[in-house]
Amino acid sequence: MEFTITGANALTYPHLHIWDWRVAIYLFLGGLAGGCMSMAAVANLRPGKDVPKNQACCWRVPMMTPIILAVGMGFLFLDLQVKEHMYRFYMTLQPLSPMSWGSWILVLVFPAMIAFALSTVPESAMDNLKDGMIRNLIIKAQNSMRPLAKLNFLLGILLSIYTGILLSSFMARPLWNSSILPVLFLNSGMSTGAATMILMARRNSIKLFFTKVDIWLIFSEITVLVLLYYGQFTSPEASRESIMPFFTLTSQYFPYFISILTLSIVLPLAIILKFLELSGDHSENLELTFKQKFEMNASAVLVLLGGAIIRFALVYAGQLSKFTGLS
Amino acid sequence: MKHYAMVIDQSRCVGCMACIAACVQENQVPFENFRTRVLEITKGKFPELRTEFRPELCNHCDNAPCVMACPTGASYKREDGIVMIDRDKCVGCKACIAACPYDARYINEEYGFADKCTFCLHRLKKDLEPACVATCIGKSRIFGDLSDRDSEVSRLLAENESRVRLKAAGTKPRVFYIKRYPTKK
Repeated sequence: MEFTITGANALTYPHLHIWDWRVAIYLFLGGLAGGCMSMAAVANLRPGKDVPKNQACCWRVPMMTPIILAVGMGFLFLDLQVKEHMYRFYMTLQPLSPMSWGSWILVLVFPAMIAFALSTVPESAMDNLKDGMIRNLIIKAQNSMRPLAKLNFLLGILLSIYTGILLSSFMARPLWNSSILPVLFLNSGMSTGAATMILMARRNSIKLFFTKVDIWLIFSEITVLVLLYYGQFTSPEASRESIMPFFTLTSQYFPYFISILTLSIVLPLAIILKFLELSGDHSENLELTFKQKFEMNASAVLVLLGGAIIRFALVYAGQLSKFTGLS
Repeated sequence: MKHYAMVIDQSRCVGCMACIAACVQENQVPFENFRTRVLEITKGKFPELRTEFRPELCNHCDNAPCVMACPTGASYKREDGIVMIDRDKCVGCKACIAACPYDARYINEEYGFADKCTFCLHRLKKDLEPACVATCIGKSRIFGDLSDRDSEVSRLLAENESRVRLKAAGTKPRVFYIKRYPTKK
């Protein structure tokens, strides 16, 4: 059986390419911001720990998070074709549109993450602040640090999973239309959040804690990624075809083939590096050697790279996937 | 209330592209964008081949995924069944384009909003047929009111086995296809 499209009419056939690197970056930074929210909350809610006024990672990461999300939203803004109509997102709530829900979630998330960031400002930084509104806000926020951390943990999950739901709700794109995709994006978001904590933390105990956390998250991420491909492969033809670009070594699909190849190297390598870190001697006051620091930071960078590759590969490949035929 | 629908008799389509040209001219469709197209699909193995001409356009679905995906309510369905876009509300987020399983939408690069077939609503208001229907030399495209039992679309659907695109998607299209191949003489 042959199935071909011929003749001059083929010129009119659409080639869907609507979302590019700007949306991929937005999804990556959205997931990263969600991961940072949840992981910073975990750092502050660990058992037996008081208000973390001297834990550098516990306030620099919450401070960074709104900026990360704002930059991500900036890329989304760049992708909008009618930028002057952006306010229209906030003139309505469309209950069946994940994008509409997302725009409102972002509004909810910002105040919560800023309040949490203020609640984690350490005493050393407070000394530089003169009496004023910001100082008063910080003092008020510090009294509610734990409830704010719990709220941020939940909102971080919501934000990370939303970036996957946004794509998975499109029935028309078989690669995206999987209930596993939001779980993958959630997992990846949390993993990149833990990696950011490792990169930003100053204290060994924090670095080691998130190294252990990240090992489980990466194992989980790889499992979910494999399940996504397996689920697509065992689904009807359009879904099965949707993953073929990742396993076809042709010039047309070369970037997708490379992406899956890179992921299959990057994520396991990150796990190996993390196991190497844990196998060393790590007492609380031990100075880290250059090799240990390199392993820690390299594995964290690999995790961030893996998270970005997942977003880029799925955003672009999803637009190649479609249903064909009349019925 | 009228329920507009289109029936496409594939056996009468000759793939002349007049419908595409008429649509582009009538609606000032931007360069390299199309609200309608005609697929030429050849099936079989040489020398036993069959070519199907399949005109495609927005299906004005009753269960329209583009309307559901729109975050601002710019995409909406009229009571007469036509799916429209309010250009003043459209932010150009492209969610509707991704949501459409028929790839019927595009971004109007000049103004930024999403655009698609409207069944030539401006012509319907003047009691004229859509431009593609009016220009079709083979009378392959038939447009009418499904709520009127005496209309040609109702009669054709009653007399012929009809199909819709991607029925399993559950979108309930209002563009119906009959007589896939020309009758053998």
